Formats: sequence, C-alpha cells, structure tokens
Amino acid sequence: MDRQAILDELKKVLLPYTENKELLNGITEDTDLLKDLKINSANLVDIIIDAESKYNIEIDFDSAEKMMTVRDCINVIAEKVNA
Amino acid sequence: MQSAGNDIIALDLTDKQRSNDSRFYSKILSESEKKYYCHSSLAGMEFRYFLWLCWSVKESAYKYLKRNQPDLIFSPSRIEIAHIAIPVNRQFAEPAGTQWEGLAKDEKCYSGNLVFEGNTYYFRSKIYREMITTVVNADESFENIFWGFDSIDDTSADHQSEAIRSLLLQKLHTVLPGKQLRIEKAAAGYPIIISGTKQLNIPVSLAHHGPYIAYSFYLPANIRQKTFASLPLGAFA
Repeated sequence: MDRQAILDELKKVLLPYTENKELLNGITEDTDLLKDLKINSANLVDIIIDAESKYNIEIDFDSAEKMMTVRDCINVIAEKVNA
Repeated sequence: MQSAGNDIIALDLTDKQRSNDSRFYSKILSESEKKYYCHSSLAGMEFRYFLWLCWSVKESAYKYLKRNQPDLIFSPSRIEIAHIAIPVNRQFAEPAGTQWEGLAKDEKCYSGNLVFEGNTYYFRSKIYREMITTVVNADESFENIFWGFDSIDDTSADHQSEAIRSLLLQKLHTVLPGKQLRIEKAAAGYPIIISGTKQLNIPVSLAHHGPYIAYSFYLPANIRQKTFASLPLGAFA
C-alpha cells in the first residue's frame, strides 16, 4: 500500500473528528492533527482505534504516541500494513 | 521550574460504548491503573468516569511537563496514576453548572498523585455529571494555583480558543489590575502572558472541549501580595 493510498484512507478516518472538513482537502504530510486540523486531543485514541479497524492492524502504545502529524500517521500505518 | 497544566473533558462528547471497550481504554490506562479501579471502590465511580478522569490527569500532566521538556510526546500509558482520593463532600454526578473558579488548594475535590519518569506530581479534579476538569502541580499544597471553567454556546474551535483566552485575561486582570496583558504562544506551543514587551513569570494552561472551557495558572505569592491589598474582599471566593 503506497503513501498516497494510505493518505486517501486516512482522510476518511480523520473526517468525523475534523470540524472544518474543507481543511482535509488541503492536508499534506506536514499537517498537524491538533494544531492544523484542530482535532481535540480527547479524540486521538478514537483515531487510533478507527485506523486499526480500517487497516486491520494493531497500533501499540509506542507507535501511537508518534502519531501527531499526517506524516507520523502514514509512517506508522505503512510500517504495520506492509510488515 | 514552576509550570501549569490543566484539562477539561465534556463527557457527552465521548463515546459511552467505546469508553467501556478494552481495546479503547487499554490505550489510555496502564495495567496497574486497571487493577487500581478493580481493587478500589472509588465510591462506586462508573468506569467511564474513571477512564476520563485518568485521561484528564494525564493530559494535564503532559501539559505541565511539556513546558520544561518541549520535545515531550504525549504518551498516556507512561504517565501513571498512583492514587485517587475521594472528597468527603463529593459533588460527583451533580450537574456542572455553567461557571466556577477558585484556588485549587481550597477545594474539596478529587485529588491524588501520578508518577512520570520516577517523579511524583499531584492533581486536583472536579467531576460532574457531564464534565471533568483537572489541574496538575508538582507541589502537593497547590499553593498559588488558580483554576476555573466556564461554558459557551458556540462550540466552534475558533470560538473555543477565543473564549478561553478572554476568560483567562479577564481573570488575570482582576489579580493584576491596571496591566495590559495579552496571551501569545511560545515556540513549543504553550501559552505565555505578555505585558508590553515583557513575558510575565505566570505559567498558564488552557483547555477546551465542546461547550466547556477551562484555565489554570500559577501566580507567585510576591505578585499576588502586591495586588491583593487593592482587591475587594471575596474577589477569590
């Protein structure tokens, strides 16, 4: 699964937790989930659980704490999906 | 170095079913915290309240620590809650009301301690039927720690941010009358208080979730003493 394909799916995972849906159209790997998309930190675990279900992977504590930017998310998902 | 860290959770915005799912809560709680819930009565506290209390303590601790460790990454399982004390006159399950503020040391609230990298920190929390708010400090006495919350109608992210900044400034103006204050962000992302061109030594922390906004700050005794004399009685009630 390449990074673009992961990014396209990741947008769907982030959608319910992003207030301004238009921001998702312009996301790049540098986009920060909290600062740029204004996702509330209380939803971070929801995003991890949804990503686990979407990609049929398990994201452990050590990986989860690194998922702050879109790049971090793609890195963690790509590593698990392609393992 | 003195810091500030707080959090607020609007429980209606959390997924009730998911909060009781082990896949979900295991990302937040450590094994010993799960055991702590099972072995402590916690006065019959519903599990999801325990879970979100723990989250708010961990998030508050992270904010408190990040000010002095800008590279710190939030990892809930690494901040371990060691003890939770139930207040005698607990207000658990009562409605939150719309607004409250006070000095953290004077409140009969939930309290306890947590451990991060071998160091112990302390928390005070208020738990209501629909909301949990927490403040964390390195000193157990919570001397000079102020905190408060308010509720808002417009829950858009921009308005939440604007409303909590306005509430904090309003509060700071009552304790530092006559000063032109503004809130800016440090490079590491935490809020700082500026007066003119000078950054004040008043660590502050801001939080919002849905219709709730909350602040905490540490006001050093020397600054407070200068201003208290000119304040009306009951200004901090």
